Amino acid sequence: MRARRLLGLATIVVLLLAWEVTARVGNNVYVPPPSQIAVTFAHEWFSPQFAQEAVPSIWRLLAGFIIAAIVGVALGVAIGVSDTLYRTLDPVLQVLRALPPTAVIPVGILLLGIGDWMKVAVIVFGAIWPILVNSVDGARSVSSERLDTARNFGFSRLETIVAVTFPSALPQIFAGLRVGLALAFIMIVISEMVGGSNGLGYAILSAQRTFSIPEMYAGIVLLAILGYGLNALFTLLERRVLAWHLGSTAVTR
Amino acid sequence: MTRAPVAARDLVLQVVDLQKRYGTGTLAIERISLDVRRGEFVSIVGPSGAGKTTLLKTVCGLLAPTSGRVLLDDKLVTAPPPEMVLVFQDYARSLFPWLTVTANVAFPLRKKRLTPSEKASLVREALDAVGLTAFAGHYPWQLSGGMQQRVAIARAVAFRPEILLLDEPFASVDALTRADLEDVTLRLRAEFGITMLLVTHDIDEAVYLSDRVFVLSPPPSVIVREIAVPLSQPREQERTRSDAAFLALRNEIHRMIGQRPERTIAP
Repeated sequence: MRARRLLGLATIVVLLLAWEVTARVGNNVYVPPPSQIAVTFAHEWFSPQFAQEAVPSIWRLLAGFIIAAIVGVALGVAIGVSDTLYRTLDPVLQVLRALPPTAVIPVGILLLGIGDWMKVAVIVFGAIWPILVNSVDGARSVSSERLDTARNFGFSRLETIVAVTFPSALPQIFAGLRVGLALAFIMIVISEMVGGSNGLGYAILSAQRTFSIPEMYAGIVLLAILGYGLNALFTLLERRVLAWHLGSTAVTR
Repeated sequence: MTRAPVAARDLVLQVVDLQKRYGTGTLAIERISLDVRRGEFVSIVGPSGAGKTTLLKTVCGLLAPTSGRVLLDDKLVTAPPPEMVLVFQDYARSLFPWLTVTANVAFPLRKKRLTPSEKASLVREALDAVGLTAFAGHYPWQLSGGMQQRVAIARAVAFRPEILLLDEPFASVDALTRADLEDVTLRLRAEFGITMLLVTHDIDEAVYLSDRVFVLSPPPSVIVREIAVPLSQPREQERTRSDAAFLALRNEIHRMIGQRPERTIAP
């Protein structure tokens, strides 16, 4: 296991070295070597600028994702357990999920301006569809034996949803949340680039426009680190909540 | 076939002229009447596709009959009553993989007003009765198929029903495990006095376990015959199954399976 991880790390080191050498030989001002980006990164982001540009991005991202998760799961399970709701709303869902979410940013700017809430709103709009659709599917695919078991023991409809449907659907809900998180990340960067006065997306774009090339790359590196960190946190949560699912699928495999 | 008249209070379950049609489509059950006495082990044996699962779900109140009625202790069944619990064939689909064995068995007790220690002792007794005490902290998917079905049976027993409805509960396990589970079921009946109603396509199993066997026709289902099983109690796998009376009965039923009833025979 440790050897495998070392191999992966070695690949990253080799790639960085290759970049370093190519950049120094090529001497293109638009492609600075990683060593220079690292110096700029330390200077740029271990500074008050982190609070100014990165923190707003992070809280908007988390606010948008958490709202999308709560609304998406609640609505998705409700649609999944009700045939009437499903038949009424499923066509709408299928159309809206097919829309590239970035397309609604101009609408968001029109209606909400370029402030924080526009960004939170477009993140919610971008992230909610995979969460919603997966929650619907998860809630619909609970085995009839489990539902009958709960009914047999006298559980009411609501009690059955809480005690049986929701936990049964959790593996699919988490699959939706993972995709939703990735989309939320895309939406925060683009919404800040298109309509922003601060945030990482804004910082990267304005660095490019003022030819602060190493600063631009430093911003991208910070995004990569944040994305990796968020994904790692999500995986940690998933492993805790879905330990039973991971265990049972490992057994059948 | 004649039998001694039974006092009404001895009848725990009465199925009267039950008919079940799916929507406006196929007729699954044409007309079935049967009754089960308190403490009795009754089997319904029929070919695959004879509507056996449909029959049990209707008896249990999970499905509404198209016509006819089900009476439990002389009361009409319209929704699943707490006195009847159904054990499904497919344990993997009826158990909850996110709960441990203990939590699975305790699951139905959420609906009973009991103190935590009363619940704990019901769970302990049920696990003890099926021989799974040592696996209380495991998850169902860590156990073999036979053990998982024991968990499902323990979950039903912990609820303390009067009647267990068993829907081919031993059909998905190997032959040795199957014999084991059959004897576990007989022990539970003796220990807790639970009335058992089993549906199966396995004639030998029906004869081995039962006091009476109802033979079901292919769909739309009717009852071909009701057969008393006068084999001695307690039943033992090797001895009972090699009994000449056992063999005669299973051969008789074997010839009947797949037939429609002769209309001339009065009930």
